[in-house]
This record gives sequence, C-alpha cells and structure tokens, in this order.
Amino acid sequence: MISPADQVGHASGSLIDPQALMAIRSLEMRARVVVEGFWTGIHRSPYHGFSVEFTEYRQYTPGDDPRYLDWKLFARSDRYFIKKFEDETNLRCHVLADNSRSMNFGSRGYSKAAYANTLAATLAFFLHQQGDAIGVLTFDDQIREYLPARHRPGHLRHLMLALEKPPGGAATDLAAPLKRIVEIVRKRSLMVLLTDLLAPIATLESNLATLTASGHEVVVFQVLDPAELSFDFAKAALFRDLESGRELYIDPDAVRADYRRQFDAHCAAVEATCAKLGIVLRRLTTDQPLELALFDFLRERMNRGKLVKRHAA
Amino acid sequence: MSFLTPLFLLGALAVALPVIFHLIRQTSKEQTEFSSLMFLLPVPPRVTRRSRLEHLLLLLLRSLVVCLLAFAFARPFLPKAASTDLPTGPGKRVVVLVDTSASMRREGLWADARAKAEAVVRAAAPEDTVAVFAFDREVRRLVTFEQWTAAAAGQRAELAVDALKKTSPGWNGTQLGQALVAAASALEDTRTDNAQQPARGPRQVVLISDLQEGSRLDALQAYEWPKGTELIIEPLKAKKPTNAGLQLIADTDENEKKPGEAIARVRVSNSSDAKREQFQVGWSDGKEFVGKPQDIYVPPGQSRVVALNAPPLGAIAERVLLRGDEEAFDNSLALIPPEAARVSVLYLGGEAATDTAEPLYFLERAFPATRRQIVQVVPRTPSAQFLPTDADAPLVIVTDALPDERTATVRRLLTDGKTVLVSLKNRNVARTLAGLLGKDSVSADEAKVPSYAMLAEIDFQHPLFAPFADPRFSDFTKIHFWKYRRLDATQFPGARVVAKFDTGDPALLQVPVGKGTLYVLATGWQPADSQLALSSKFLPLLFSLLEQAGGLRPQVTQHTVGDTVPLAATNAAVRVTKPDGTSLTLGAGTAAVIQTDQPGIYTALSGALTQRFAVNLDPLESKTAPLPVEELEHLGLPVTRADGKTAVQAAEAKRQLANTELEGRQKLWRWLIAGALVFVTLETLLAGWLAKRPAPQPSGETLSPAGRLS
Repeated sequence: MISPADQVGHASGSLIDPQALMAIRSLEMRARVVVEGFWTGIHRSPYHGFSVEFTEYRQYTPGDDPRYLDWKLFARSDRYFIKKFEDETNLRCHVLADNSRSMNFGSRGYSKAAYANTLAATLAFFLHQQGDAIGVLTFDDQIREYLPARHRPGHLRHLMLALEKPPGGAATDLAAPLKRIVEIVRKRSLMVLLTDLLAPIATLESNLATLTASGHEVVVFQVLDPAELSFDFAKAALFRDLESGRELYIDPDAVRADYRRQFDAHCAAVEATCAKLGIVLRRLTTDQPLELALFDFLRERMNRGKLVKRHAA
Repeated sequence: MSFLTPLFLLGALAVALPVIFHLIRQTSKEQTEFSSLMFLLPVPPRVTRRSRLEHLLLLLLRSLVVCLLAFAFARPFLPKAASTDLPTGPGKRVVVLVDTSASMRREGLWADARAKAEAVVRAAAPEDTVAVFAFDREVRRLVTFEQWTAAAAGQRAELAVDALKKTSPGWNGTQLGQALVAAASALEDTRTDNAQQPARGPRQVVLISDLQEGSRLDALQAYEWPKGTELIIEPLKAKKPTNAGLQLIADTDENEKKPGEAIARVRVSNSSDAKREQFQVGWSDGKEFVGKPQDIYVPPGQSRVVALNAPPLGAIAERVLLRGDEEAFDNSLALIPPEAARVSVLYLGGEAATDTAEPLYFLERAFPATRRQIVQVVPRTPSAQFLPTDADAPLVIVTDALPDERTATVRRLLTDGKTVLVSLKNRNVARTLAGLLGKDSVSADEAKVPSYAMLAEIDFQHPLFAPFADPRFSDFTKIHFWKYRRLDATQFPGARVVAKFDTGDPALLQVPVGKGTLYVLATGWQPADSQLALSSKFLPLLFSLLEQAGGLRPQVTQHTVGDTVPLAATNAAVRVTKPDGTSLTLGAGTAAVIQTDQPGIYTALSGALTQRFAVNLDPLESKTAPLPVEELEHLGLPVTRADGKTAVQAAEAKRQLANTELEGRQKLWRWLIAGALVFVTLETLLAGWLAKRPAPQPSGETLSPAGRLS
C-alpha cells in the first residue's frame, strides 16, 4: 500500500535529506525550509485544502447565526453564505520535546534530540503560520523550558530559542514533567510529545494516561535512530548507557538478534499502550525527511476531523 | 663481546611492548555510547582467534628492531686480548710523595695523608716497586726502591707504613715542584739502571698533599716531565677551611726610626676559601695577649697590614698573636729587633780628628750609625801600639807613612786576609806601600796636573764600582782632582786598574797580597787633593769597600724555618736553645751556623755573648686554599685526579677509559643502527602490504597502529 506520505514524496520528488537539513545551524531556518518545502509539495499533491483548521464558506441555512453572514459575498452573488472564522476553531498546541541524555545518541552525525527539536520547531513554525497558539516544553527528568501556548508576534522567536538550548543531562522520566504540564495547562489542547519512549513500558502507560485523562489530545512522535532499530555495530566494545552511565562489554554480532527481538517487543508494547489510550503514535527514524512527519501529522489531524464529522453525522 | 653501557640492554625488554600493546588492544578500552542498554545483556569478551598474535613476521621484525637498538645503545665492542694480559706484565714503579709541610699540621690532614699513603702501599702488587718520599722544603726518602725490593714481599707494605709512622709534618714550607722533580728523577734513575730489561711497567707518582696555594712550583718551570710517567693526585681536604696567617713586613724606612722604637708591621692574610673574617692581632708573651689586641676584618682571599705600636712598657712581648683563626699552626709570629752589628775600621794616620783639611775628619763622618750596624772608625797614630781588638777590623786604611815594624804588622794582617786601603796622600806613603807589597820601593811621583784631573775609564764591572754601573750614577766628571801621585801599574804584579785618571794614570788599583786585598788610591780625599770626600760618590764607595772587606753582612730581615742562620763567630763552644726548650751544643771552632727546624726564638750562648733570633714560618704556608690542579697541568704534568678514589677504583676507571677508546675505534653500534633501519624499512613495507591486502574478515584487527614503534 502506498502511504500518503509516499505519495507526497513521489509527487514532489524533492524531499529534503535530514543530513543536509541538520547542517543548517539555525533552528528557525531549518523549520522554515521544511515548512516552505512542505507547502510547495502540498500544492503539487492531489490533496487540496489540507490544513489543521481550514475556513470555508457554506450556504446559509435557516438557523445559522446571521452574524456570520458574509455580506460582501452576498453583495456580489446575491446569495447567503456563512463565513467560518479561523479563530473559531483555533488550535491550542503544546510541543513536548524530550531532551534527556538518551536523546543525545545519534549515529548519523546528529542526535535524536537535534532531530526532535527540528521537528518541534517545524511544527511550531507551521502552526504559527496558520495562526494557532503554540507552546513549547522541553524536559528531561523535569521541565527545563516552558513557554505557554500563544500566538503573538515574537513568540515564535522565543520558541526557537527555547528549543535551541543544548540538551540537559539527566535520564528520561516522563512522570514528573507530564504531571506538571497537566497542572499547568488547564485548557484542553493538543499535546505533541517528541520522545524516544525508551523507558520501561509499565511507567510509560501510567504517564501517558495522565495526559489523556485530563482531556488533552495527544500525538506521540517516537524519534529513533536507525542504529537503535538495526543495532548494526561492527566491533565488540564497551557500550555505555547514556542515561545511567552503565557500561557493558558487548559483542554486537552475538547480541544483535536478541536485541532486535526485545526492541521490537518493546515497540509493539508501546503501540498497544497508545492504541489503548487513544494516542496517535508515529514512529520516526532520524534518517526520514521531516516533511513526512509534518505530512503524517496533518493527515492525522484531517482523519481525526473526518472521524469527528462522521461521528457528528 | 663486552658492553660499554650494559644498562641499555634493559631496553631490550621493550620487545615485550608490541605484544603487550597487541593484547591491550584486544581487550579494547574503546567505548561506544548508546542510548539505552535496557535491551542488552552483558556478554563476556570472547577469547577467540582474535586475541592470538597475528602477523607473527611483523611482530618478529619489530622485536628485532627493538633488540638491535638496545644492543646498539649498550655500545658493544670486542675486547682485545692485549688489554687483558696487562696485569701479568712488569710491575708498576710508584713513588708515593707525602707532604709534610707546616700546612699539613692542620686538623686531620696528616691522618688522612697517612691513610691514603698506606692504602696505596698496600694496594701494590708483588711485582710493583714502590718508594715513599716525604717532602716539604726538601725531599726525604723514607723508603727507597732498593729498600722495597730488598724487603720480603710480605714485609714491604709494613716497611713503608712503619716509615710513615715515624714521620710527622714539620714546620717547613712546601717545595712541591722540587719534590715532583725528585720523584720523577727517581723513577728515571731506576729506569736507566735497569736498561737491560726492555719491558718496563708503568711509572706513577702518587702525590698525597693538601695542595695548598702556597706550594712552590718554580722548580717545574724548567723541568721536562718524563714521558710515560703519570702523576696521580690524592688531594687532602681540610676540615676547616678558614686559615689566616701572619707575616712580618720588612721596614724600608729603617733609618728614619729612632733606635729602640719597636713598631712592627704585620700582614694578616686570609685564605680564599675562609669562612671567618674577624680576627684579633696583638702582642703576646707566647700564650696570651699583652695589652689590648686590635680587631681587624680580613675578607677571604685578601690581606690587611696592621701596624703594631710598641707593647706596654716592661712587658715581655716578643711574639705577635692572631686570634679568631680556625687553624693555629701559623698564628704566632716571633719578633726580635735585630741587634746592630758593630764594625770597626782601623785608620792609621797621624792627623787630629778635628782637622778639616785631613782625611780622618771626613772618614769619621762617612759612617752614620743605623739600627742594623754601627761602624766605628778607630784612629791610630802610625807609631801607636795595636790593641788585640784592632785585629778584628775588616778594613785598614793607611794614609800616612808608617814605621817599618808597623808596616810589617799591617802586611801580616793583609796577607791573613784583611783588606787594606792605602791612600797616597803624599809621596812618603809610597815607602809604606812598597813595604806592604814586600818591595823595596815604589815610584810615586807627584803628577803634573794642568788645572784638574778627572776619573776616566772606570771599571764598572769591579764590585767597588758596580753600584754606579747605571748611567744615572756613572758620572764621575764632577769630581775634580787637584793633585795625585803617578803610579806605574806595571810595578804591581797582578794588579787590576779599577779606575784611571783622564791623563791615563791609574787612580785606583787592586792588588792581591796573600789572602788579602790591597787597594791603592793614587790621591787623597781631603780637599787639598780632590773633591772626592765632598762628592756624593764618597759614601757609597766607602760602604762598597767595607762590604768587599767583609765588614757588612748581607742583611737578612727574617729567618724562615729551614734557613741556615749564621751566628757571630766566636772561639768558644756555642749552646743553642731552640724554641721548644731543647738545646744543642756546637763545638768550638766549628762553623757557627744553625739549621732551624721550628718557628720561635732561638738563643745561642757562647761564653759571655748571647744571640737571639726569631725564626718564623714560611708565609706561603698560610695560603692554604687548594691549588687548582690545572696549574700543574699547565706545567705539562699528566695529572690524574684520584678524587677520593681508591687505587682499585682508579684502575677500574682507567680500564673503562681503555674500553671507551676501543669501542670508539670499533664503532659496532653503527652497524647495529643500520641493521635496525633496514628492519624498520622491511617492517613498514610488510605492514603496508598487509594493510592493503583485503582482510579475510572486516573486523580482523592488526597490530599496526599500536605496535608501530617509529
């Protein structure tokens, strides 16, 4: 089956190689490049009108609020149309970026954290362009940076600065930051969580449940390095755990199969958990173009909209 | 195969390094960071084919390079057979020179010297020949080569040790040069004696001395040190470096001082390596200061002159004492003002002493009294009787005609060895002159002088005129002679014309008569005859004459230990008391001289006559700072510094030197280095080839980065 993302890729034929993208120093520039490339791609794609919350005109039917009648259009066409305002469905989105030490791993010349932050910046830039309120929260075992969701001039710059800060140095502990953000963000909003989810599955479930339980809509991007998937190390060496500092002498050839099996099991467990909690989970490896992530995100939103419409219908 | 620096062979242990590196590399410390180890289990390092040594040829090459380098650094050489059979050759000839000068009296030096000398003697092999000489001012042979060879092999060392036991340092100065010459000559002598034996062993002079700065080396200046004779120096080090010494300074302005005024000037010199600078100098009775001592400050290596005022009245103070010095041997200076020598000049003339027109008036005024000598002119009329003491006068001056019997007396004195001056004041004296010469008559006519005559053709070679030989003093033309008597030099057999007048007539003649000397002056010095008495030349001439007559002894201002001191001639036996209280008696009639051997005040008693004189240390002995050995080297001596090494160590050092030379000639290390370079090249080529060759396994690990040496 050909995924919509692939269709986008084929259609545009000019997806940006993450390696080249990461060579750009400025995070904002990276985000801009991705988003603009995405717009270009989107115009060429057969899917029109993709947007988080798009506005439309619809025929007036009795019972609609006459305040939203577009009188100018009525003057031109002599028909009644209802104008749907952008701010009517204004989105409140929080990007939660995991900056723990395990995110510092990277086998492609840049770390997962850099990739995740670029993705966060891209989302932020894109949503900001659409006029949505966007907030950012970076964390490791506690909250490092927090910017509440807003839409005002200069806010984007602050977001970029917060995301550009070098990753901190502690282990991933989703519990504390998620609990905290639930306390902070009272209003319902979209929570985009960028993390590697390399934590015991039991704690993951309870943590993610905290978010969904408080009514937030949760999208999880699981950012992984290709090496984590394949474990394609050649030499036997002393492997050091980035988070705990634990060292193990490992011969990759000997353990590779076992590792893959366990890793796949973990991923399957994560997927199951997310499905159970109603969380959209997207797995990204750092060698995938960022546009695809953005595309996946938008498609998810669109599907969700359809789902809602279908429910409503 | 021997090695010059065998310790470098330890470097060969570095062979293990490539292997160790290899093994270290196998149990790699390389770390790989990973995001999470939660899906991993520890796996023990596999002991597989990989921890085995790979590329054995490469390893072998590297080990070879290391070994060759270590071998080259150890400087190998092939010892020659000749160097090993040296000990079986003819034995050494050694002269052990032991310093016994006064400076060796310092604390601990003599014991050290004896210990070193004994060590050298005991280290001698049976075939060696050893002589032991002690030296200070002179060289004393304690054990000669003959005594050594005559003694049984086991007794030889004991012989030398016993001889050393009987010796102790004296008070003499150090004639180091003389001693070295004597030692080298002794070695040379034995060599020529046994010339029929062609093979001679090495010859050595072992010098055991404190090598003080004051050692005299002048004897070495004109001496060519024999080739092949080695000089080994065993320096002795004093425990206390500070040594100050005293030296009496001779007064030059002797005559300006009043007689009896006892002011002395002493020089206090400090050794250049001294630690102390504050001293006290003062008069002493031999033990303690008399009166108040003076404080002086003498920095190391410098000297200060101290003027000592007269000691307190009534105190017996014949010594100057120095306090504050660490070494006491040269801190005392004996000081006795010399007594004036009394010399009489017998004058035979008829005139009154107060007659200003006559010679006696001028003669009496020509000899002023000084502290050193009092010259007394004893006038006798021609007819007066001689007193017995008149015979002691070394000089007799005759200016008047004498009666025949008196002439005979004077002639007897003359033939016995006295000096007689006959001044031809007038023609009548010619008869007396003839009598003195044992002739019937001598012609001495009055010369016809146009206006005046001058002295010309003076023999400045003659001792009388030698003091005037300098052009500044040789102008005698200012002295005019109004009258003189013509003498014919041919009348005097064996006469030497010392001076002539410008007319060509002799003015002063020297005629040997018997043992004595007769001087004939053809004129007189009174104003009627000449200006001689009024000239500045008169006094020096008279003193010259008196000196020639033996009336003036050379002035010795100070005696140092070892000097031979003449005593006043007497007929009685002389009893001499030395400073340490011992006494000896010299028989009557012997040459009254005394050999001094210790510093202090000597007293010579002969009859009623008492003579006292002071003898002091050689001032150079006080210069105790070590003499730089380079000075000996400058004099052409092949010096080997023992520097506290024993004979065995010295031999070892010598052998080492020979080995160095041998190694320097063979230079085996060059070949080894060249070999190492060849192997390094081979290793590089091989490693390069191995690296390029497709590895059978991608993870196959080679030694090259860690094991590479260069």
